[in-house]
Amino acid sequence: MGAHHHEVVSVEEQFEFTAESKRNLLIGMGVGIALVLLGSYLLSQGGGHDAHAAAGHGAEHDHGAHGYHWTQRIIANLWLNSVYFAGISIIGMFFISYNYLAQAGWSAVFKRIPEAMPAFLPIPAIIMIVLAVFFGDKIYHWMHEGIMDPASANYDAIIAGKQGFLNKPFYIIRLLLYFGLWYVLWRIVRNLSLREDEIGGLDGYEKSIKYGTAFLVVFAVTSSTSAWDFVMSIDTHWFSTMFGWYTLASWHVAGLATMTLTIVTLKERGYLKAVNESHLHDLGKFCFAFSIFWTYVWFAQFLLIYYANLPEEAIYYRERFSGYGGIYKAPFFINILLNFVAPFLVLMTRDSKRTSVILKLACWSILVGHYFDFYTNIMPGTVGANGGFGAVEFGFVLLFACAFIWSVSSQLTKANLIPRNHPMLEESLHHDIA
Amino acid sequence: MAEINKKFLVGVYDDEDIALAAVNKIKSAGVKIYEVYSPFAIHGMDTAIGHPRSRIGIAAFCFGVVGFLCALTLTTWTMGIDWPMVIGGKDPLSYPNYVPAMFELTVLFTAFGMTFTFFISNGLGPTVKPLLFDPRCTDNKFIMAIDLSKNKLSETEIESLIKASGAEEVSVKQL
Amino acid sequence: MHVTSPVRTPLVTGGKTYADVTEDICKQVEGKPTKEWKVAFVISLAVLAYGTVCLFWTWWEGLGVWGLNKTVGWAWDITNFVWWVGIGHAGTLISAILLLFRQKWRTSINRAAEAMTIFAVLCAASFILMHMGRPWLAYWALPLPNTFGSLWVNFNSPLVWDVFAISTYFSVSCLFWYVGLVPDLATIRDRAQNKVSKYIYGVLSLGWNGSARTWSRYEYISLILAGLSTPLVLSVHTIVSMDFATSVIPGWHTTIFPPYFVAGAIFSGFAMVQNLMLVTRVVYKLEDYITFEHIESMNKIITLTGSIVGVAYLTEFFIAWYSGVEYESYAFYNRMAGPYWWAYWAMMTCNVISPQLFWSRKIRRSVKWTFFISVIVNIGMWFERFVIIVTSLHRDYIPSSWAMFSPTMFDIGDYIFSFGFFFTCFFLFSKYLPVINMAEVKGVIKSTSEKLPLKVSGVSKAERLASPAYKKDAE
Repeated sequence: MGAHHHEVVSVEEQFEFTAESKRNLLIGMGVGIALVLLGSYLLSQGGGHDAHAAAGHGAEHDHGAHGYHWTQRIIANLWLNSVYFAGISIIGMFFISYNYLAQAGWSAVFKRIPEAMPAFLPIPAIIMIVLAVFFGDKIYHWMHEGIMDPASANYDAIIAGKQGFLNKPFYIIRLLLYFGLWYVLWRIVRNLSLREDEIGGLDGYEKSIKYGTAFLVVFAVTSSTSAWDFVMSIDTHWFSTMFGWYTLASWHVAGLATMTLTIVTLKERGYLKAVNESHLHDLGKFCFAFSIFWTYVWFAQFLLIYYANLPEEAIYYRERFSGYGGIYKAPFFINILLNFVAPFLVLMTRDSKRTSVILKLACWSILVGHYFDFYTNIMPGTVGANGGFGAVEFGFVLLFACAFIWSVSSQLTKANLIPRNHPMLEESLHHDIA
Repeated sequence: MAEINKKFLVGVYDDEDIALAAVNKIKSAGVKIYEVYSPFAIHGMDTAIGHPRSRIGIAAFCFGVVGFLCALTLTTWTMGIDWPMVIGGKDPLSYPNYVPAMFELTVLFTAFGMTFTFFISNGLGPTVKPLLFDPRCTDNKFIMAIDLSKNKLSETEIESLIKASGAEEVSVKQL
Repeated sequence: MHVTSPVRTPLVTGGKTYADVTEDICKQVEGKPTKEWKVAFVISLAVLAYGTVCLFWTWWEGLGVWGLNKTVGWAWDITNFVWWVGIGHAGTLISAILLLFRQKWRTSINRAAEAMTIFAVLCAASFILMHMGRPWLAYWALPLPNTFGSLWVNFNSPLVWDVFAISTYFSVSCLFWYVGLVPDLATIRDRAQNKVSKYIYGVLSLGWNGSARTWSRYEYISLILAGLSTPLVLSVHTIVSMDFATSVIPGWHTTIFPPYFVAGAIFSGFAMVQNLMLVTRVVYKLEDYITFEHIESMNKIITLTGSIVGVAYLTEFFIAWYSGVEYESYAFYNRMAGPYWWAYWAMMTCNVISPQLFWSRKIRRSVKWTFFISVIVNIGMWFERFVIIVTSLHRDYIPSSWAMFSPTMFDIGDYIFSFGFFFTCFFLFSKYLPVINMAEVKGVIKSTSEKLPLKVSGVSKAERLASPAYKKDAE
C-alpha cells in the first residue's frame, strides 16, 4: 500500500527569511520604483491626452471642468493595487475563519500561511485613506467639486441623490471601520494561535471559533459595502446588486491562489514537509472550484445586464467593451481567459492538482487574471481613455507584490511554520484522499 | 465475469482494518488476491489488492465535450441557421443567452454517460446475478477471495496464510 | 489510516455495530407497515385525492378558475413552483456539496434528503404543467420544430432554460440517488426472505456484490456526480431566478437574484429536511443515527443561508435607493409599506429574524424549536416568492391597472395537491426503501461513533437466526 504510509514528519519548522530573499525583494521593489518613475516621466512628457478624454464616450467623465492630468494614472494605479492586495490579505483571515467555523481538519497544517497574509493590511489601508482624503476627486466622480451642489455647474442630480451614503466624512469613517475591524479581529485570532503554540490546550481553539465567527458576521456586511466603496462607486451612476459578492468572489479566489502558490513555493524550498499531495490536491480543488464560482457570479451579472439592456446598467459593459477607443476590450477578455478558461482546463484532472508546476501555473493565471478583473473595473472610471498597460502599471504591481511577499515572509518567521498544538493537526498530518 | 470451474479460497474477516492489513500481508507473501468484498468502501483497498487506478475520468471529459458540442450545434442551428429571428433586439445568434441551455446539456450528457459507464464497467445490470462468495459481504463481513488456479502456492499454504492474517473463517468455494 | 481529532463530537451513538446498522434500517423495509404509517399514508392519499379533483377541474375548466387578473397574471402558480424547486435543492446540496467538503454528518441524512429533492422537483414540475393550462401540449416546450413546422423553441427565453434546467436537475438527481441506493438494495436483497422481494430488490440492485474494484469506481463516480451536481444545483435556481431577473419589471430585474435565490433555496430545503427527518427519526427510532449533532449542523446551515438571504434583502433595498431609479425605489417602498406590507413583514420575520434564534446553542439543539423554526422558515420562504411576484406585478405602470390578488379555492386546492403528492411519495419511499444510507454510515462508524463495540462487525440476523442462543456481544 506504499503510498498510504505516512512517514513521521516533524512539526517543528522555523522559516528563515534569508538575506538573499530580502535582497531579491529589495531589488524587485527598486525595479518597481524605477519603472514607476520611468513611466511617470514618459506620461508627463506624452501628456495632453485630454483631447482623447473628450472624444471617448465615458458617460461618467463628461463633466468638462475636470481636465485630465497624468498623475491621475499614478493615483488610479495606487488605488487598484491597494484594493487588490488588501483583498488578498483579508482573504487569509476569511479562510481561517470559515475553516474554524466549519471545523475543518485538513487545513491545519498550512494554517500559518493564510494567517500571515492579513499582516499586510495596514499598508493598503494607509495608502487608501491618504488617497481618499487628499486625492478623492481624482478617483471618484462623486467627490468632484460641486457635484452635489445644485448651484454648481458640475451639479449631477442623480449623484446628489446618493449623498446620504456617498459623502466624504461617512466614507472615511467606513474606510477606518473596515480596516480597523478586519485588522483587530485578525490580530486577536493570530495572537490566540501563537499562544496556542506555546501553551496548548483547547482554549485558543474555542475562542478562535468565536472570533472567527464574529469576523464572518462583520465580513458578511463589510465585504459587500467595501466593494461598493472601493470599486463600484467609482462609476458613480452605475449600480449592481451583485457587485459585492462578485468582488468577494474575485478576492477569494485570488487569495486562495496566493495561499496555494506560497505553500507550493515553501514546499519546493524544503519547508512544510508535512504538507502532502492530498493537501495540494485539495488546494487545487479550491482554486478550481472558486474560479468557476467567480465565473458564475461574473456571468450572472453580465447576462442579466446584457439581457435587459437597460441604458443605465448596460453602459458599464459598453464602456469596457467598446468605449475609450476599445482599449479595455483586451483586459475584458484576458479576464475571462485567465480566470476561467485557463484554470478550468489546467486544473481539471487529478494529477494536475498534484503537480507543483501545474498548480503554480494555474495560480499565476488566477492572480494575473484577477488583477485584470480589478483593472477593468477601476481603470475606465478613473482614467478612461488615458488608461493603458505600461511601465507604471507593471512597476506598481511589482512594488506591491514584493512588499506583500516581504510582509508575509516576515510574519512567517514569527512562529513555528506548523501550528504544533492545533487540535486538528493530527488529522491534517494524516490527510489522505488517495 | 464469473469464471466457470474455478476453485477459490474464501476468507472471512471481521474488521476492515484487519482485512486491509491481511491483504498487504498475503500479497507480500506472493499470493495474488482475486478480490475483496465489503459492505462499504474501504479507503485504499483497491490499490492494496493491486487493481489499477480507474481511468473513467477521461470518459467524463469526453461525454462533457460531446454534450457541449451537441448543445452548441442545437442552438446555433435552430436560432441562427434554420429560422433566424431577432428577439428582444438581440442578434439571431446571441450566445450569452444560450449558455444556460448549453451548460445543462453538458451536465446532462456527462452525468448519464458516466453513470452508464459505471454500470457497464462494473458489469452491473438488472438481470445480472451477483457473484457472491458469502452473502454477509453486504451486511457486516469482509470477504477475501483467492483464485487457486492463478497462484503457485498450494491450497494449504494459502489457507494458513489467510488464517494467520486474522480471518475468522476460511472455506473453499467452487464456481 | 484515519485519524479523527478528539475535539470532534461523535455522529453515531449507541455503540452500533455494522450488523446493527443493517438491522436498524432494514427492519423498516422488511417489516409490515406500522399503524402510524398506515394512518399517515391514508391521510396523504386523501389530501392527494382532494387536490387531484381540484387539479382536474383546473384543467377541465381552464386557468380562469384561479384568482389571476389582467395585472397580476402570475401568482400562486409560480410562487408554488419556485417554492418547491427551492425545497428541492437541499437533497443534492447535502449529497453533492457536503460530499465534496467531506462532511461526514451528511451520511445519515443524504438518502432521505435526496428522495425529498426528487419529490419536491416533481411537485414543482406539476405547477409548470398546471399553468400551461393545456398540459397535453407540454411537448411544445421541447426543442422540436414547433408544431413540426420549422419554428423552434426560443433559446433566448428563460422559460426554455427552465425546461432544460429542471429536467436535467431531476434526471441527474435521480441518477445520483439511485447510484447511492444500489449497495443498500443489495443488502436488502441478500437478507430478503421471500421470493418476490428477493426478485424485486435483486433486479434493482443490478447484481452488486461489493467488490473492492466496484467500490473504488463507486467512490469515483460519486465524486464526479457530486462535482457535476454542485454547479447544477446552483444553475437551477439561478435559472429560476432569471425567469424574473431578465425582465425589466422593478423589483425583479436585479443582478443579485441568482446567488440570492440559490441561498434561499438551500435555506428552505434544509428546513424541509429538518421537518421530515425529525419525524422519521422518532417514528423509525433512528435517534442513534440522526443525532443532535446532525440537527445542530443543519441548523447552522439554516442560519448561514438565512443570513445570506438577509444580506441580499438589505443589498436589494440599499441599491434600490442608491440607484436613484424611481420605479425601483418605489417597488421596494411598496413592498414594505404598500398594501402587501403584511406579506413583506411575514417574510422578513420568518426568514431573517427567526433563524437568528439558532445562535443559541440550546435552541439549535432542541427538537421542538428546530421543528417549529423550520416550519416558520418554509412559511417565510413561500412569502418571499409571493412578495417578489405579486407586489412587483400588482402595481402596473398605469395606475388605473393597479390591482390586488386574491386566491380562489382552486389556487389553494392545486397547492394542496402538491402536498398530497409530496407526502404520498415520501411515505412510499420511507416504507419500501432504506431511509438511511447504510453503506455510508457503516463507512464512518469507526471514525465517528461515540463508543465502539468490542467487535465492530456485530452479529448479523442470519447468524442470530441460526443460533438463537448466540447473544449480541456485550460492550
